[in-house]
Amino acid sequence: MRPYRIRLGRLVGKTILALAGFVAVFPLAWTALNSLKNNVDIITRVPRLVFTPTFDNIAYILGRDSVMTGLYNSVVACGCAVLIGVVLGLPAAYAVARYPNRFAGDIQFFVLSLRFLPPVAVAIPLMVIWLQIGLYDTLPALIVTYSLLTISVIMWLAIPAFQSVPKEIEEAAFVDGYGAYSVFWRIALPVAARSLIGAVAFSFVLVWNEFLIALMLSSSNAKTLPIVASELSQQGMNVPWGILNASVVLLSLPPLLFLGVLSGFLNSVFRPKKT
Amino acid sequence: MRRRSSLPVTFLVPTLAILLVLSMVPTLYAIVIALQNRELSSSDYSWVWLSNFIDLFLDRRFLNAVWVSVKWEIVTVVATMVVAIGLGVLMFEVASPRLRNIYCLLFIIPVLLPRVSAAFVWKFAYHPLYGIATYPYRLITGGLIFDPLSKPSTALFAVASVDVWQWGLFFAVIVLKLLETLPPQPIEAARLDHARRWQIHAYVTLPMLKAPLISLMFVKMIESLRSFDLIYVMTRGGPGVATETLDMYAFSQGFIESGKVSYASAMAVLMMIATVITFTMLWKRVQA
Repeated sequence: MRPYRIRLGRLVGKTILALAGFVAVFPLAWTALNSLKNNVDIITRVPRLVFTPTFDNIAYILGRDSVMTGLYNSVVACGCAVLIGVVLGLPAAYAVARYPNRFAGDIQFFVLSLRFLPPVAVAIPLMVIWLQIGLYDTLPALIVTYSLLTISVIMWLAIPAFQSVPKEIEEAAFVDGYGAYSVFWRIALPVAARSLIGAVAFSFVLVWNEFLIALMLSSSNAKTLPIVASELSQQGMNVPWGILNASVVLLSLPPLLFLGVLSGFLNSVFRPKKT
Repeated sequence: MRRRSSLPVTFLVPTLAILLVLSMVPTLYAIVIALQNRELSSSDYSWVWLSNFIDLFLDRRFLNAVWVSVKWEIVTVVATMVVAIGLGVLMFEVASPRLRNIYCLLFIIPVLLPRVSAAFVWKFAYHPLYGIATYPYRLITGGLIFDPLSKPSTALFAVASVDVWQWGLFFAVIVLKLLETLPPQPIEAARLDHARRWQIHAYVTLPMLKAPLISLMFVKMIESLRSFDLIYVMTRGGPGVATETLDMYAFSQGFIESGKVSYASAMAVLMMIATVITFTMLWKRVQA
């Protein structure tokens, strides 16, 4: 009876997996579908799969000034913060990875510990500080605050990436007369590039998705897209659902563009050991 | 071969200095604000020292928020690890390499979504009348209404399910990758000894992965502290105070209800002390 039971077990396992895969994407796909529906097709007791699609919701979202400002703010704030994270984080990570000193462990722990800080504990005092120096509700304030996130995350992920570059290549470059800086530029950066791009993409997704800090540090001018999207729903349930769904889709698209990069990053981090 | 170079200093010092300033200034200032009685509505303030903290311990809503936060932490971490290990092992056992790749892509999608998006997606799905997740219930019961987000007993779990949807599926991918890095010999040896599939995992592979699994759990514990976005969008801490975690309560005290910035900051400081102490101790243990 054993083979039969094993086959049944495999069937159950496969069913559970398929179900999990379905649960992973279906809610999002349904939201995307709803963004193409008229309100009458959404507010139905029985979910409707067949309907006449409309682009009104998407057009409405893209035509709103607040959404466009939010999009602009998000792109600028996240772009600048990630850029600062790259410029400051990557060299520092390389120094920790390749020039071990007795503080290396402490530095790594310090960078990680920044992640322990509750966002509220950072946002409240910063709000008071930005208010006092007159930078509250501006993009520079948001960029500086986000840089703390991007620098620490990029450093944290880039240290192992640099460590996995074979030491021999760098040693060979030193023998060929390269200086320490050109070894970093011409050898370490290009060789580790794949993992590094993953780390940078991850930091972008992190700040793009950030909500609490943006909510506390902006009141009108510097609102990012997640804030604008969440406010659409506060106008009560009178807001056509299709529009809300469309704004969720718009907000979710940029991180999903990195799906390929990030899954490649995962693969390079967990490479099977050669035996 | 590596000669003495100025590189570590030029590369490290500016970055660390900036990180130190950016992290220490708000942290110390949070403590300063917590010892004063600042309010959003006026610019006057005086030093009240520890009275905010004393008020907190007499505030039943605060104690409730502590309890909700602890529940949230336990529920999400445990459920995430169970889902991750379960699905990870299943993929390892029954999925072909091609299927594994497809599942890995699908399972990463939820975690990439902004928490705000994920929260909205599920808020729609949990809608009692028109939601897609409550549809099967309406279908089976012939139209009875089930509203998980507005019942105190289920609201926290409904919100937690979104967190597990994001992180549990993502961690399943990592568990699979970890299983794939294991050498095949011990598994084959166990198979020759007629061990069942689940026995192989319970007694051989998962114990071999103990260290990385504990690290994963550690990461999840840190990420679970960021519950605010989900709760803010889905329930606003309600119904009543059933899903009011510490950051939600701090936010509503500081910004929505009364503008008591100092009171909120005192709460944030307590959270900070608790998390830094707990995670530093855990980290030292994980490293040891």
